Amino acid sequence: MSLPKFSYLAPDTLEEACRLLAAHQGKIKIKAGGTDLLVRMSARAFKPDYVLALGKVAGLDHITFDPRTGLRLGAMAKLADVVDHPAVREHYPMLARAAKATATVQIRNMGTVMGNICNASPSADNIPTLMVREASVIALAATGEREIPLAEFFLGPGKTALQPTEIATEIRVPVPEAGSGVSYQKISPRSKVDIAAVNVAAFLLLDGERRCRQARLCLGAVGPTPLRAPRTEDFLVGKELRPEVLEEAGELAAGEATPISDVRASKEYRRLMVAILTKRALVEAHNQALHH
Amino acid sequence: MSKNFSVVGQSLPRADARIKAVGAAQYADDIILPGMLYGKLLRSPVAHARILNIDVSQAKKLPGVKCVITGDDTLKIKFGNWRLVPESQDEYPLAVDKVRFIGDEVAAVAAIDKDIAEEALSLIKVEYEELPGVFSVEEAMAEGAPVIHELNPNNISLQRKIDYGDLDKAFAECDLILDNEFKVHAVSHAYMEPCACVAEYDHNGRLTVWTSTQTPYFVQCLLAKTLGMRENDIRVIKPFVGGGFGGKMELRKWEFCAAFMARQTGRPVKFTLTRAEELATGRRRHPMSIRSKVGFKKDGTLVAKEFTAYLDGGAYNSMGPTAAFLCGNFGGMLYRYPNYRYNGYHVYTNKPPAGAMRGFGAPQALFVAETQMNMAAEQLGIDPLDIRLKNAMETGDEIPGVATISSCGFKESLLKVAEMTNWREKRRQLGKGKGIGIGCYSFISGGVFNWFNTQYNFTRAEVRAFDDGTVHLLTMASDIGQGCDTVLRQILAEELGLKMEDIRLTAADTAVTPQADLGTWGSRVTLMAGNAVRKAAQEIKDQLYKVVSLKFDLNVIHDLDCRDGMVFAKNRPDRGIPFGEAVRLAQRANRGEPIIGYGSYTPRGKGLVTPAFSFGAQVAEVTVDMETGAITVDEMNTAHDCGTPINPMSVEGQLEGSVHMGLGYALCEQFIMKGGKTLTATFLDYKIPCAEDMPPGKSVHVETYEPDGPFGAKEAGEGLVSPTAPAIADAVYHATGYRCTELPITPEKILRGLGKL
Amino acid sequence: MKTVITLNINGDRYEVAVNPWRTLNEVLREDLKLTGTKLGCGTGDCGACTVLVDGKSVSSCLTLAIELEGREITTIEGLAPNSEELHPIQESFINKGAIQCGYCTPGMIMSTAHLLKQNPRPTEAEIRAGLSGNLCRCTGYNKIVDAIKDAAEKMSSSSD
Repeated sequence: MSLPKFSYLAPDTLEEACRLLAAHQGKIKIKAGGTDLLVRMSARAFKPDYVLALGKVAGLDHITFDPRTGLRLGAMAKLADVVDHPAVREHYPMLARAAKATATVQIRNMGTVMGNICNASPSADNIPTLMVREASVIALAATGEREIPLAEFFLGPGKTALQPTEIATEIRVPVPEAGSGVSYQKISPRSKVDIAAVNVAAFLLLDGERRCRQARLCLGAVGPTPLRAPRTEDFLVGKELRPEVLEEAGELAAGEATPISDVRASKEYRRLMVAILTKRALVEAHNQALHH
Repeated sequence: MSKNFSVVGQSLPRADARIKAVGAAQYADDIILPGMLYGKLLRSPVAHARILNIDVSQAKKLPGVKCVITGDDTLKIKFGNWRLVPESQDEYPLAVDKVRFIGDEVAAVAAIDKDIAEEALSLIKVEYEELPGVFSVEEAMAEGAPVIHELNPNNISLQRKIDYGDLDKAFAECDLILDNEFKVHAVSHAYMEPCACVAEYDHNGRLTVWTSTQTPYFVQCLLAKTLGMRENDIRVIKPFVGGGFGGKMELRKWEFCAAFMARQTGRPVKFTLTRAEELATGRRRHPMSIRSKVGFKKDGTLVAKEFTAYLDGGAYNSMGPTAAFLCGNFGGMLYRYPNYRYNGYHVYTNKPPAGAMRGFGAPQALFVAETQMNMAAEQLGIDPLDIRLKNAMETGDEIPGVATISSCGFKESLLKVAEMTNWREKRRQLGKGKGIGIGCYSFISGGVFNWFNTQYNFTRAEVRAFDDGTVHLLTMASDIGQGCDTVLRQILAEELGLKMEDIRLTAADTAVTPQADLGTWGSRVTLMAGNAVRKAAQEIKDQLYKVVSLKFDLNVIHDLDCRDGMVFAKNRPDRGIPFGEAVRLAQRANRGEPIIGYGSYTPRGKGLVTPAFSFGAQVAEVTVDMETGAITVDEMNTAHDCGTPINPMSVEGQLEGSVHMGLGYALCEQFIMKGGKTLTATFLDYKIPCAEDMPPGKSVHVETYEPDGPFGAKEAGEGLVSPTAPAIADAVYHATGYRCTELPITPEKILRGLGKL
Repeated sequence: MKTVITLNINGDRYEVAVNPWRTLNEVLREDLKLTGTKLGCGTGDCGACTVLVDGKSVSSCLTLAIELEGREITTIEGLAPNSEELHPIQESFINKGAIQCGYCTPGMIMSTAHLLKQNPRPTEAEIRAGLSGNLCRCTGYNKIVDAIKDAAEKMSSSSD
């Protein structure tokens, strides 16, 4: 179906973008890569009067790494560029894995990590790894800028903590701690190219005796937003990843998930997969941590 | 049999590959005519309702809207492919009185651009009185179920029976009887080209329609009927078609609307479907509920089978009557079933109609038959390969009252695929997450039964020969991507001793190409159109041989031949002249009359089903993740008998495409519906396998020579869509112990079957 | 309101007036009648509409034409140097039997052009992953993969 009619706004500066956003609150959608927005518009799920495109704003597609401050991804940084970026591959291999697991070659050439986050789909590939890395989003409005931890960013399917006047300009990811490791696990049983039926990211920081000093988990596609699993995380702290610990962690995580049934999987299957993927993610994160 | 062919048997690139590779091939939606209007269809949002009122006044007032029509504007003539049984024709060009599924076409608009056409649709107001709907065969056949068509108060639109032998007596003599229920699901053709058509009116009573179709002749006839026009005042042209797989072989509503509105407005009208329309409302493979009882002797000998299928036909008959008939035939094919009874019921439901789709009754019937063979083998302690070899059909076998098998390479295929895969060893050794399984098929080479009730030959070819050494082949056979434009050229080139580039081809234009051809379906084209082309070529040769004999004063005992561009006496190649020169002489000898040959083919004396059967066996190897249930198909190997391949590369391509479609049927493709609404209407949600999902595998052609086929050829590539699902299901059973009786095979079903979920 | 933009397509400059909601696919097919680029789904899932923008493969159905001023667009019509010669990828697709109905072909070929530019000697797995955004219903992909291997070999040996 053709796209519905809209007015197209393509400011050169973020200041102008913020002004336009504020002026057309409630009737405007922000476009980064557009790969999700335009699909939803053509299905008439969204009918904005205005589309605010960020493509002409200079300097929004940066990917930079600083060993003291960490990784910064501009709002217009494309998925394909994140996949291929040497610093991402070296310091955040699971971010690259998640970006590469997103959709198809063409979509990765067009779409952005920020877009994937701001759509706030519970199954988004790029959220879990960023979440367990305690990333944050910079939100800019005419009145100023604030930093929103990803853990507080998602309010529901398609809903974020961004105010109607705010533009998400940058993702900030802290420097990986020595002795930490991350894993991203995804199951889409129908095809190698599919939205996740369940995805799980795990972060582990080990102490000198290979016990978990910190543990973070993010469970995707099993709740209205990607979920942290605080009870499982607490359980893991101070423990060695013995088989029985893994088993229990998997079961705990499954208990923290609140899945529903849809075209991709039933809630029962999803819950079971949370347990399986959690175990697999913990094992891999553990291995990563040992080698980091 | 002589294998001394020059063109037949060669893996030549497709004749139309180059134009497709450079993007110059025109498909229906690529046609843009001056003044063309854009059409859109208004579809029912409810599954079952009476139409109380349709108000199009606001839509008509919208600037740029040139035409708005509803059922009331039409002649209200019902149509359908089964012209032989007029009461089976149950569809109106646009809904009259009732809608019967979500997507049923209610009205159409034509406007100067797409945006306006879409806006106009939103201005049409339809008042519906909703009726309760039925969404499965069980619901539809229940006592007191809502009636979908008045003519069929029990919602069963037709019943087909096959019965031979003495079933009760035979079952009494069996050592093992399996009695199982199965469910098979609907899948989409998912051809890459969404349907499109353009109609143009000549302001003189005639219409031309370019449409993405497999059957230009059907469209011509049924348009004439529904528009109240004469058949030959309608010209249907098939441009390049982006796949069909059975989904484009009827008159469709948009073809009618484009033609009607072009006549009404005097301007060309184009309709192009969206993918969402295709997936949510388009034709699909019949879902079925099946019960199959099959009996064996201890040694594995098949004795009897009783097969009952309830076809979920959706809201209209479409090609359901044929599917119901063929499903029963396929249920009794492949092996010797001395006693067989089939009952097939075509049941209406308030869902998008099912229609013809690749395999046409075979994927369903063979999923059941092959799964039961594997079950029986296990219970009798026989290798699945051996139980098949024991019962396999052979050349000369008869299906009572139905057909004689004139060529059969089934046993050879079984043995070959076993050898290719190291079957016996792997079947014994694999296990715990790894499995190997087998599935087989037989298929038809076109149908015999004349349900369209054509008064023409089933197919016809015309060949015109010229003194520049070229020939022009005219045929209504329709290339929809399967490659008949190439294969028919190869057959003609072989017969006339010419090169591919010497042949010009005009195909599938009802005003130009010879009447008639029933179109592309049921794997009929290579055999039927191929035979017609050969006969036309023989007529050309007869004319040329006369003048060559005269020129060289040949003794009557000489045989003549056409080869390498020459026409000559077989054992005196020096006594010959170039093809073009022979044409020139033949024309001179007959006062300038053009050199034309005609050929036609209609199967006669070939039983009820088809002139020729093909066979094959496929072995799947899988790995199942015992924790997630995720299935990886590691390898898919095939040995099949398609007679003599005319173009082996093309045959392989068809076969690999079959594996793709069979894999989707087995594992990942599914319409998920709720109350008649399709929830999987994008390629994101309706998942066809991608390049990374395809398993590696080899294929071997077990060559036979089909006496009824051109140069020994018969069906290739359609039947092969059937063995994939049972082979994978068997491999999954071998790997996990979970036996699938309800497609598709999903990780969830495996885990549930194993008690892990 | 329509905006007049200049598009650089296959080395030619086209001036077109577009509404902002007009996709590149619509402009190519309907306004410029460059119908080699197909439309198979409109949701970015099938890849039949793939074109190159600044050398990278994108779905033309999800690209707004208005955003392409100054970008270099290559479509299937712009791949072959002239009507006599073909691009090696096109040759390989023809010779290896990678084309059946042909509807996915332009998109497949453009995706291949992108893939081989990024990775001139891809492994089979990389080729298959490189086709993640292109669906084909006829071939089962195997002959397409063969064609891409063949093209990669030809192209990298000619550039050695």
